[in-house]
Amino acid sequence: MSELSAAWHPIASSEDLPYRHVFHGQLLGREFAVWRADDGNVNVWENRCLHRGVRLSIGINEGAELKCQYHGWRYANRTAGCTYIPAHPADAPARRITNRTYPVIEFAGLVWSAAGAADAFVEPLQEADWFALRPIPVTATPEMVRDKVVAAAEPGSEPVRLTEFGYSMKLAGGRGEDAAVFIQPVDAGRAVIRALLPETPAQPLATLRHYNALLNALREQIERTAREAPAPEPIEPEYEPVSLELATMPELRLGTRTSIRVRVARKYDAGEGVIGLDLAALEGHLPTFQPGAHIDVHLPNGLVRQYSITNGPGEQLHYGIGVKREPESRGGSSTIAEAVREGDLLAISEPRNNFPLRRDATRTTLIAGGIGITPLLAMAKNLFGSRLEFDFHVFARSQQHLPFADALERFGDHVSPHIGLDAAETGRTLEEIVGSYSFARHLYVCGPAPMLELVRALAARNGWPDEAVHFEYFKNTREIDQSSSFTVELARSALTLEVPAGRTILEVLRENGVEAPSSCEQGACGTCLTKVLEGTPDHQDVYLNETEKQANASMLTCVSRSLSDKLVLDI
Amino acid sequence: MNRPNPYLNDHWHVVAGNEAVASGQPFRTVLFDVPIIIQRLADGLRVTAALAPEKPLPVLERYGFIWTSLGTPMPLFEIPEYDEADRRNMNAGSLGVAVSAPRAIENFLDMGHFPYVHTDILGAEPHTEVKEYDVEVSAERGEVLATRCRFFQPRAATSSAGGQEVEYVYRVPHPYCSVLYKSCPSDENRRDVIAIFCQPVGEERIVAHMLQSLIDDVSTITDMRRFQQTIFGQDKPILENQYPKKLPLDPRAETPIRADKSAIAYRRWLSQMGVNYGVIPLVPRVADV
Amino acid sequence: MITLYDFELSGNCYKPRLLMSILGLTYETVPVDFYPGREHKSEAFLKLNPFGELPVLVDDGLVLRDSQAILIYLASKYDKTGQWYPLSDPAVLAEIAIWHDFANRITATASAARLGLSMFYDVDIEAAQAGAHQLFRLLDEHLWFGEREGRDWLCAPSHPTTADIACFPYVALSEEAGVPRQDYPAIRRWLDRVKRIPGFTVMSGVFPAGPAIEA
Ligand SMILES: N[C@@H](CCC(=O)N[C@@H](CS)C(=O)NCC(=O)O)C(=O)O
Ligand code: FES
Ligand SMILES: [Fe+2]
Repeated sequence: MSELSAAWHPIASSEDLPYRHVFHGQLLGREFAVWRADDGNVNVWENRCLHRGVRLSIGINEGAELKCQYHGWRYANRTAGCTYIPAHPADAPARRITNRTYPVIEFAGLVWSAAGAADAFVEPLQEADWFALRPIPVTATPEMVRDKVVAAAEPGSEPVRLTEFGYSMKLAGGRGEDAAVFIQPVDAGRAVIRALLPETPAQPLATLRHYNALLNALREQIERTAREAPAPEPIEPEYEPVSLELATMPELRLGTRTSIRVRVARKYDAGEGVIGLDLAALEGHLPTFQPGAHIDVHLPNGLVRQYSITNGPGEQLHYGIGVKREPESRGGSSTIAEAVREGDLLAISEPRNNFPLRRDATRTTLIAGGIGITPLLAMAKNLFGSRLEFDFHVFARSQQHLPFADALERFGDHVSPHIGLDAAETGRTLEEIVGSYSFARHLYVCGPAPMLELVRALAARNGWPDEAVHFEYFKNTREIDQSSSFTVELARSALTLEVPAGRTILEVLRENGVEAPSSCEQGACGTCLTKVLEGTPDHQDVYLNETEKQANASMLTCVSRSLSDKLVLDI
Repeated sequence: MNRPNPYLNDHWHVVAGNEAVASGQPFRTVLFDVPIIIQRLADGLRVTAALAPEKPLPVLERYGFIWTSLGTPMPLFEIPEYDEADRRNMNAGSLGVAVSAPRAIENFLDMGHFPYVHTDILGAEPHTEVKEYDVEVSAERGEVLATRCRFFQPRAATSSAGGQEVEYVYRVPHPYCSVLYKSCPSDENRRDVIAIFCQPVGEERIVAHMLQSLIDDVSTITDMRRFQQTIFGQDKPILENQYPKKLPLDPRAETPIRADKSAIAYRRWLSQMGVNYGVIPLVPRVADV
Repeated sequence: MITLYDFELSGNCYKPRLLMSILGLTYETVPVDFYPGREHKSEAFLKLNPFGELPVLVDDGLVLRDSQAILIYLASKYDKTGQWYPLSDPAVLAEIAIWHDFANRITATASAARLGLSMFYDVDIEAAQAGAHQLFRLLDEHLWFGEREGRDWLCAPSHPTTADIACFPYVALSEEAGVPRQDYPAIRRWLDRVKRIPGFTVMSGVFPAGPAIEA
């Protein structure tokens, strides 16, 4: 069987996969959920949701994601990575929950796949205008179906073997064409006859009906013989265990460190002072991301910078980012402006999401200032695609400065651009937008620090609870006070360390050989988030919200310090 | 054929609703793949295995259902509320389902599916969040208990008028039975009781027997049955599309989230009790040891 | 006022519910305790329908049994578009009659197997399942060729009729009858199309479809 599982077989006709439909396939006992995304890509996945084993073939094809019918988990086009878990709407599914995928190729009007690690696809037929006949499922062993099909050749003609289960042959009673006939081994006792004619016949319908009658009669004959023997036991499918990491529900997010090579596929002008970059996978697709996620980009000069992914759901062939050209840049944007060209290779991190989008709001309000539009663009695409209620406010200095103006057009009435407002006007407009809070509304804001501060203050004044106001700073502009000194105890590593004035906890950890993830190292990105077991942190970051800061249950070790003499961390 | 372990065998198992067995008419059903016959005779109920008609099996009528055992049954769990005078107790139906008993119990404990499977009744998008709740396994009582379970529901019961946050308590006092208590729309100090008793016909086929014990003096029995059947009828195609049909006890077989705490506790408890029927037992993997 | 004697888990009762939902009609439901109560065999109910079968629909004193007859009545009387039961098109009406008969054959097979498996009716389950598969092969073929001929529905080329409503429920519930639909891809696509008819409503055991792609 292992030899067989590496072989490619047709599992559906291309016509079986209209948009927004999920086809139920099977090969050698393994069931598949097969669906075509709106971008045309065909996905062949194990027919089993990783959560509780429900068949994905009863799920909903939402165009860019497949939604499981049981708890609404979403899985992305191409990667099969989980992008959303509705039971925990505030969390990004940080662990890499990825359904099992199978190889897929559309060729000659058929969809081909393999039940295991596949060999390279060798075209079993010449390129031609192949015309698919109506597939005929047969309740008999694939071997018996194959033998009976071969025996149904026009007397005097000799079938030519194309694959283990495929023949080029003239069918007795046919119209003389050299048909390609493939037997799809569905299960131990089931098969599908998938036949192709080498060109579209002059009278397609009549020809289809003719062969359909012929193959129906052949099926009758095969099944009559098959019924004489007891039906074989179905093949017991093997299910791979999920990784230990997925099975154990870690509470703390760990930073992802893997680096991925990408090619700069496009560099373009995305509005005055903004450069758009499309970073493409060198091969296949990029890892699953969720709206709000960002990547680290390793620049040629050694700097590492964070950029939000602007893509819509299921767009996995490249990540789109936007970079602001800043005159007093800290080296990131000027490098990109000058040194990075189309075709260059860059290293990026896996996507990380500290700004997850809840999809359980009755209405979502997105507020973008300038380049802060990037994560919100991904959110808007997601909300729009899922037909959720939202409004998207974009503030820019001038029409020319409006970043990604083209991308905004598709949102129609959902978008309100606010162009060229002065500080007072901006304040009044924001006041109007924020308005008063009502149940299950959520607000997302990204932009310059003063704007964020203002929106947060307005929201607080208007009765918005902290957990309904989501923000992402590009950077921490606060002056960090490094004057304190204190002791840090690492609960799990049984280490006690002294943090002197002028040094960060993160630095001290690393000096002592403790591995700790980090990224921006200025208290903005949340990568170094650590659980606090005892003591009172001196929060200096812009990542945690006020409620989270007051809870003193976690802190960012790259900037925050201690108010108490000692901190006990869960490291 | 796989036989239940002694722990399972020494339980009472439900085999019929009281009213399904009329006098003078033998009622046939199956328990643990063993065909059995129930008769209502002048001197009471008689349950026997079809292949051993001489040897009577233990029998109990409780909660509106008939229970028997292929072993020496320990006492049946208590639902004290059932005996409260003002409750409307009813058998809401016994439905055959192509699933294992533990999968059906896990579904009964699960709140995350309300908006998707019981749309506009027990839940509705966008209100999908499963808030933190508490779970404990009480070893001496031999039951799993989940408390402080809350969910936003558009129409929680036959008698409810609008949406509300509903609070649940779930008990699993028997490997194949579960009892839930939920806020009662007509009396905020009391709780409606709904229970599912699974009869393991085979490892992958059950009869789900449903009990309702409600505080509601407005709705008819037909209305209340209809409500519960509507709900269970929605769960049924989910259960019948779950693979594997037996509940895998290996934590790495599926992907739990925080909302699944009660299911995880239930799976662990089944493992500890050596339950071997309707489950795929945990076989330690070399790499994990 | 229209009154429907109804049981939630019955596919035959679902037929009038579905059509009335699509036509936007309001009606009253009288729940009948079909299971476990067997109320449809009670004396009171037998007066409405001597066959002791659901559904029964009462409108303006007119008492109707048989779900297909009810669909014909509702569509002829209340459908302003005239498409669900096109009285002026003899060919389509005859086709509808053929598929209404087909719907009854589905009830006799797929529905019988479902009642046997879930409510313990005394039926030959395997024979009923085999019968359902035979019907489904014909249905899949009819729908597959329909897709090639520009006919998305059972009868009329450009719009659904009562025939689609009559055949839909027990096909959509067939897994509960132990009759999987994996071998019938054209049926599976047609189910999606029916689910996207404006005004479509579900019953317990039938999931809705997501929205179609916007053109
Ligand atoms: N041809 C009738 C058949 C109706 C029918 O079979 N109804 C079922 C319920 S879905 C019933 O009442 N059966 C009575 C019984 O089997 O006891 C129709 O289409 O209405
Ligand atoms: S089983 Fe798929 S989301 Fe839970
Ligand atoms: Fe449920």
